[in-house]
Amino acid sequence: MTSRLFSPIVLLLVLTFLIGPFLIIIAASLSAGETLAFPPQGLSLRWVFKVFEVESFRASFGISMFLAIGGTLAALILGIPASYALSRYKVPGAETIRTIVSSPIIVPGIIVGLALLRYFVVPFNFGILFALFMAHTALILPYAVRVVSASLNNLRSDIEEAAVLLGSSRVGAFFRVVMPNIRGGILAAFILGFVTSFNQVPVSLFLSGPGVRTLPIDMLSYMEITYDPSVAALSALLAFMSLGIVFLAERFLGFSRYV
Amino acid sequence: MFQNRAEAFALVLPAAIFASVVFLVPVGILLSEGFRTGDSWTIQAYIDFFSQSLNQTVFLRTLKLAAMVTAVSAVIGYAAAFAIVNLPPKGKGRITGLVVLPLMISPVARTYAWLVILGRTGFVNQALVGIGLSDEPIRFLFTETAVFIGLLQLFLPLMIISLISALENMPRDAVPAARVLGANWFQVFTKVILPLTKEGLVIGGTLVFTGSMTAYITPAILGGSKVLMLETLMYQRVTVANDFVAASVIALILIVMAFAANVLLKRLATARNKR
Repeated sequence: MTSRLFSPIVLLLVLTFLIGPFLIIIAASLSAGETLAFPPQGLSLRWVFKVFEVESFRASFGISMFLAIGGTLAALILGIPASYALSRYKVPGAETIRTIVSSPIIVPGIIVGLALLRYFVVPFNFGILFALFMAHTALILPYAVRVVSASLNNLRSDIEEAAVLLGSSRVGAFFRVVMPNIRGGILAAFILGFVTSFNQVPVSLFLSGPGVRTLPIDMLSYMEITYDPSVAALSALLAFMSLGIVFLAERFLGFSRYV
Repeated sequence: MFQNRAEAFALVLPAAIFASVVFLVPVGILLSEGFRTGDSWTIQAYIDFFSQSLNQTVFLRTLKLAAMVTAVSAVIGYAAAFAIVNLPPKGKGRITGLVVLPLMISPVARTYAWLVILGRTGFVNQALVGIGLSDEPIRFLFTETAVFIGLLQLFLPLMIISLISALENMPRDAVPAARVLGANWFQVFTKVILPLTKEGLVIGGTLVFTGSMTAYITPAILGGSKVLMLETLMYQRVTVANDFVAASVIALILIVMAFAANVLLKRLATARNKR
């Protein structure tokens, strides 16, 4: 009897702990009051609208979007050929190359950001935005290689060998035979990269300059000065955005198969 | 398998060179800075770092919090994963989805929620004062407890999903068989479930431990300058004091501890295996 009650109670407690704070954020963002509070003082959408009026949020949202989309595309452009070579060719030192390419996951992001600031931005006068772009690309690269490699390994290599035997060039075989078959994996890698980059804080921490900072960093600094519910509203909006993307991905390509 | 080496290198090198130039080389130089004073190589910076009591406190606190979060998430994780695995298939998928859901939400948003809950005028304090359990608001924010709670919420899903897949790979009859043979639940857990799922525990444990140790957002929001952890200390050293040597020392400590945790947990897993 006790064990029959045990499971539902455990699940209820764990889910309350994991999901509850998110629901509280949504409730707090609908408050009509001046300060952050739960339960909210009256209901209104004023803070949700306020989010769109804050100039710095608009600017940093644009930068985060650019980094998430551009960085992921760059990581895929570098990562797809590398994954292809690692799964279809005998590459000397394949393990070393794999380690090098996936190293940005292992080392804490804050160190990467600091190192780029100190040895790229300062001495070579690189722009902050350029450094951010490089850092985000490096950060997404391991995910791109892992997800694309997985879907390449699930694809039998005889079909492209058959295409080559039938007279197609290697490049032609890749674009006409391999690419259409790993499209789902590439899309999954894109979504994973996008979400990772968009939510990323430590890498971008040191890489922020006048007018150039990512949205999460901007939220952190806004929180330090103001205690109004607009950050809660923004958090809720962003959460719905990520969840929407992941939900659509799951719906149309079975995202979780790839990740 | 294609044999053409030149082609293989042409495909793989751009990614490898990019990761080296943007990542390995700058990080390498940063790490070397902690060992240099002028022209000579020394470990003086490390001696200086560990001789300051603030740094010792932060170092030990980081280790302690990461270990506590890992241990507690393992206990909760087993209970939750066990409950989920025994659900009917449809419910299993849905509940697993709900567990994974927070991972897709920005950690800033997830940590921010705790401000609303634990703050001075927050939900918990209103309830405590309202019921009459406390006369005035209790200070939760900027304590180790707040950071612990925040980290646990952030990383618990990783432990649960690691344990779910481990429990699912366990032979179906193992637990009922042990029960029939007279083992109590404690024995079932230590003698059957734990040995059979230790790989999942190690994977989850490594993710949670290194994640908590290298967390920045949670200690920054919920700990502030009162409860510094290694990453917030590093940020402070750089922005307040321009002290890149200390930053380099902290960077190496973080990397070494992450690797050490990885190796140690793997060892633990294989050691139990031999018995």
